[in-house]
Amino acid sequence: MKFREGMKTVCLCAAMLLLLMCGLGAWAQSQAAPAASAPAAAPAPPPAPAMDQPLDVKAAAPPSTDTLAAQGDPGGTSTGTVSDVVVSDTKKGLTLADVVNQAGQNRIAINLVWTLVTGFLVMFMQAGFALVETGLCRAKNANHTMMMNFMVYGFGLFAFWVCGFAIQMGGGAPYSTLGGAYSLNSEKVITLLGKPWGLFGTHGFFLSGATYDVGVMVLFLFQMVFMDTALTIVTGSCAERWKYACFAVSSVFMGAITYPLFANWAWGGGWLSQLGNNFGLGHGYCDFAGSGVVHAVGGLSAMALSMIIGPRIGKYNRDGKPNAIPGHDMVIVLTGCFILAFGWFGFNPGSTLAASGNGALRIGTIAVDTMLAGCTGSFGAILYMWLRYGKPDASMSGNGLLAGLVAITAPSGFVSTVGAAIIGFIAGVLVCVSVEFVDRVLKVDDPVGAISVHGTNGLWGVISVGLFADGTSNYGGSWNGVSGSVRGLFYGDASQLVAQLIGVGTLIGFIFTLSYVAGWIMDIIIGQRVKAEDELEGLDLPEMGALGYPEFVLKPETVTFSGVAAD
Amino acid sequence: MRIVGVVLALVGWLIPVVGLTITQSTSARFILALLGIAVTLFAIMGVLNKAHLKNAIWKS
Repeated sequence: MKFREGMKTVCLCAAMLLLLMCGLGAWAQSQAAPAASAPAAAPAPPPAPAMDQPLDVKAAAPPSTDTLAAQGDPGGTSTGTVSDVVVSDTKKGLTLADVVNQAGQNRIAINLVWTLVTGFLVMFMQAGFALVETGLCRAKNANHTMMMNFMVYGFGLFAFWVCGFAIQMGGGAPYSTLGGAYSLNSEKVITLLGKPWGLFGTHGFFLSGATYDVGVMVLFLFQMVFMDTALTIVTGSCAERWKYACFAVSSVFMGAITYPLFANWAWGGGWLSQLGNNFGLGHGYCDFAGSGVVHAVGGLSAMALSMIIGPRIGKYNRDGKPNAIPGHDMVIVLTGCFILAFGWFGFNPGSTLAASGNGALRIGTIAVDTMLAGCTGSFGAILYMWLRYGKPDASMSGNGLLAGLVAITAPSGFVSTVGAAIIGFIAGVLVCVSVEFVDRVLKVDDPVGAISVHGTNGLWGVISVGLFADGTSNYGGSWNGVSGSVRGLFYGDASQLVAQLIGVGTLIGFIFTLSYVAGWIMDIIIGQRVKAEDELEGLDLPEMGALGYPEFVLKPETVTFSGVAAD
Repeated sequence: MRIVGVVLALVGWLIPVVGLTITQSTSARFILALLGIAVTLFAIMGVLNKAHLKNAIWKS
């Protein structure tokens, strides 16, 4: 005991001595440094060149055009020089103002090209959706299902051009990465309970007037292809019994009103995005590329219409037990999934609307997050199905990939790769559980699983921003007008989660209800569902006038069920 | 019943929205958001969907 006490004292003294020596050393260093002598007076900087004075171009040694004409430039070392800078006044020659303006234009040009090309990728996702949905439906409905996915492009685009874009983006300017788009500066705002609530935009109908602008055009194209993704989701869950005329009317309504309203609230400067500014809730509702705006809107609208239309004949027995109605072509289903995964490289990274400035170099991280979430989504689904049913299921594996991609869409700009992998895996399991719940408990028929893939996992994606956003992104120093980086609950900001939950509540409480009421009215006026005999025959001939596979002999209905018999 | 379901779903949406102006506490807003979501989900699954299942095609 005495020995221990003695050792303690010795160690304490040694530690104190060590500290003293370190302190002495540090003090000695600070004392030893000679006082810096006063710096010599710095020479006066040369006067800055005037912006409008001609520069000495010869000093930049531009290549001779005669030499280029005679020899070409195989190595590329003489192409793209001072000679290519646009000169505003050829009599005066190149000025510093010309060079500075060219730098600005180059930045905007990079951003416009990036946004356009990624928008083209998203447009191609329409083909992916068409293949997935058609493959998961029966062959007798192939033409009808394909035609819904084909024409939703035209119906949606037209509605968006007429009024949807104006409602969505008419008041959200400036869009600095695209040159400003300053004409989109009119938002309908009401003041309620002492706070401003942005409701919808009012500039940009028919893209006319001051919105006939290069930046606005690019923004329109990019937003339009996102809108169309939401619209096409509905066609999957309503397939095999939806009247084509009703599909057309529903698509126009959704492209003109339903989608643009929520998109304005989230992306167009509306009240949801301002929850941070107005109520101190994080950075307001954050949805980087649209888990909520696109996928949840589509999935919840799909659920509303599926409820109204009702299940396919033969889907449920009289006792409510569901029957599996397999699709006719798993090859095109999984090919469609790959096309969607490819297009998602436009969906998420493109949502920076920039590849230069404003933190846009994060596009690589966003792309990797997207890939990872899709990958772990398919893992989650295949594991769940394999463990539960003894076999890896192809259609659910595809849906698992899509669920992961849907879920990562909102958080892709704000999370790390670890966060993305976790979000995706949870999405993969969630989609399987949700499909079973919708099918067996709610008894809502969804031939392709759109409600679970897009609705359930769209909401999960929205919530995951409020959990996993890690505060490392920097898109120009602020988001939704609140300075700093988006941070979720796990990284210190619980209020961000609250903002996301209010977004979830708006999606299920308002958007679902709006879609439901609109669908209900259409059902009363037109009638959403086809006749029973048309449904049993297959919609290709009665609705479209032609078979999707005219040379195939389609086998008669083989689904065994008690209830309505198929002839 | 469908009208009741629609109204209830909208009420569920408005609970957290109006709650924003009543309290500044993050915890209270969190609880109101969850409450609103619960009310809306009940309206959709417990009222609207049930109304549809009453006249489901597979029951005829």
